[in-house]
Amino acid sequence: MQSHGIPRVAATTLDKSEQARNKERKQIIQYQALERDVVDRVKAKDYSDTTFQLTSQLLTQNPEYYTIWNYRRLILQHVFARELAADEEPSEQDSAAAEKANLPPAQHEVLLLIKEDLQFLIPLLKQYPKCYWIWNHRSWLLGTATKHLPAHSAVTLWQAELGLVSKMLGLDSRNFHGWGYRREVVLAIERLSSNGDGEKGSRTGNMVESEFAYTTKMIQSNLSNFSAWHYRSQLIPLLLSSRNADTEIRREFLDAEFELITRALYTDPYDQSLWFYHQYLMATLNPANVQALPVLEPCGRVQHARYLEREIGSVREMLEGAEDCKYIYQALLEYSGRYLEVEAEGGKVEVGEMRGWLRELRGIDPLREGRWRDLERKMGL
Amino acid sequence: MSLAAGPGRGHVAHGQLPGELRLVVDKHVAYIQSLDTRRDELEYHLTEHLRIGGIYWGLTALHLLGHPDALPRDGLLAYVLSCLHDDGGFGAAPGHDAHILYTGYSVQILTMIDGFDALEEKMAGGKHKVATFIANLQQPDGRFAGDQWGETDTRFLFSAFYTLSLLGYMPHQRPSEPPMIDVQAATAYIKACHNSDGGFGVAPGAESHSGQVFTCVGALSVAGELDSYLGEEGKDRLGAWLSERQLASGGLNGRPEKLVDVCYSWWVGSSLAMIDRLHWIDQAKLTTFILQCQDPDQGGIADRPEDMVDVFHTVFGIAGLSLVGYPGIGEVDPA
Repeated sequence: MQSHGIPRVAATTLDKSEQARNKERKQIIQYQALERDVVDRVKAKDYSDTTFQLTSQLLTQNPEYYTIWNYRRLILQHVFARELAADEEPSEQDSAAAEKANLPPAQHEVLLLIKEDLQFLIPLLKQYPKCYWIWNHRSWLLGTATKHLPAHSAVTLWQAELGLVSKMLGLDSRNFHGWGYRREVVLAIERLSSNGDGEKGSRTGNMVESEFAYTTKMIQSNLSNFSAWHYRSQLIPLLLSSRNADTEIRREFLDAEFELITRALYTDPYDQSLWFYHQYLMATLNPANVQALPVLEPCGRVQHARYLEREIGSVREMLEGAEDCKYIYQALLEYSGRYLEVEAEGGKVEVGEMRGWLRELRGIDPLREGRWRDLERKMGL
Repeated sequence: MSLAAGPGRGHVAHGQLPGELRLVVDKHVAYIQSLDTRRDELEYHLTEHLRIGGIYWGLTALHLLGHPDALPRDGLLAYVLSCLHDDGGFGAAPGHDAHILYTGYSVQILTMIDGFDALEEKMAGGKHKVATFIANLQQPDGRFAGDQWGETDTRFLFSAFYTLSLLGYMPHQRPSEPPMIDVQAATAYIKACHNSDGGFGVAPGAESHSGQVFTCVGALSVAGELDSYLGEEGKDRLGAWLSERQLASGGLNGRPEKLVDVCYSWWVGSSLAMIDRLHWIDQAKLTTFILQCQDPDQGGIADRPEDMVDVFHTVFGIAGLSLVGYPGIGEVDPA
């Protein structure tokens, strides 16, 4: 892939010795022979176990080689179809294992093959956590399992994925492949447990509570995790509707979130991630921002104004000891502008004070001078 | 053309004042020309699945640098056409499976080298066939899959739009014919990826990411819906998010609290340009940052100063310089 973050090395270390060049030549010959072998076999429709093992070898060397992942899936599709169509009697041992898993023998065989391939991917994922094709293949395997296996069996596989993706996000809490996969896994588990043959009537289908708790845990271990804050913001409307929250509960919930983020902002007002979450909470009150669903129900103009007043006051207090923090001025200006739109007579905000904030901001943040100039004009300051 | 990093024999010219930094055009041209001569390196072979991308990036860089003929046209044309499959899709290299991304790159290359006649010679009704390959990848909910295996991503949607547009098969380009794709469903999907912070994610619910912002804003722009959908309020919000990508070094990052990287000079910069807010970042500082990422001796641009160069960062660095009007570089259309 592209070379991200690989230090440039000095010329002397790159002048390869004759021995090193020979070694590299040999490696190229071996790699090309392996590639040729795999391609020829698949072209000849040789979907044998040997071919399959050869794709493993090649993909371990080069997981970005998407065509070989496609070949691997061709082979697997072929094997699954053969297993599921077979009418030969399974061995006694296989039947017993299948019975234990509550599956017909052919499906049990498919399950085992899928599990084996999921296992094959784990070291690759750990080594190449940003490789689209590995995540993609994993997702295909799970989707295929969902198609061929009864829900009780497929859901067990998906649940194991939740553990894996938590582990991956533990290694890199900002990996967006990981967060995307997590959403996919949660959706699949919810879908399979609500209409599958799993625990009928139970509330296990809805994972919004446990996922919300997961974001709390992630935030507590590292406040500066925009991905976790973002996921939290996506869960809130679902959480409130699953709790059948009434007006009072919604208000308490929103206040608790404001308290949480305000405490975090006091810890580190220089962290962008935190400000984006504060901005999100404020956006839920703003009917003009349709991307943020309302938290309060009902949420009228008067309430909007009261929250703006309160938060402007609270953010203003953060200035003490953090007078050089540009995000504070940005928030004050943004919320004040909105406040003046909502509350025509103003009251809690003075234009003179806003001019002062803008002046400070321009001093601290000359990189975005063009933006501040536009803001000055837009707000008529 | 290889995507292999390096050759990396360079060193940063320490102590060089920003005023003395300049784009080493000849070195970059030579670097791109040298990429296909590295067959004795394992890395060259391990990156074959990116070959067509590498050619597209290299050729675009050469066009911007004013040396469009530095790679021989005949060789490029023959290579691109050797990646074509019967169904109208292109693979990343001969023998590699067809995919929407590599079909997009191939069509871009054919556009740059005026190769559509050759495509028709090789495959009767070739342009229509390629357009059909793309159109067939659209899903009922408006998204596009990358290939027959079904992975979807907003990158693929943008790829579908610009490829059809270059081929002249976007529905608005052929108002008298039945539309090949459902543009409304596609843009509805993009709108579902729009976040309250103003940015766009890779799927509905995903956090905003500069790369995805570029693909979504680009797709809305190709569809002619950018201004009407975002409005001034939406542009202000997106512009604010994008402008916060610039850090003190002058470079841009892809998401909050991440490292800067030259490639975002393009993803963020062109998105800002498409919403008329490129002046919301410090363009002089960005220029300095990109120039610092050059290998001044061997040519090529890296993700960050003192890292290994590659053709991907080379083109996006140069495209970033083009956006901010660096002298001597061709103008680039942000979309």
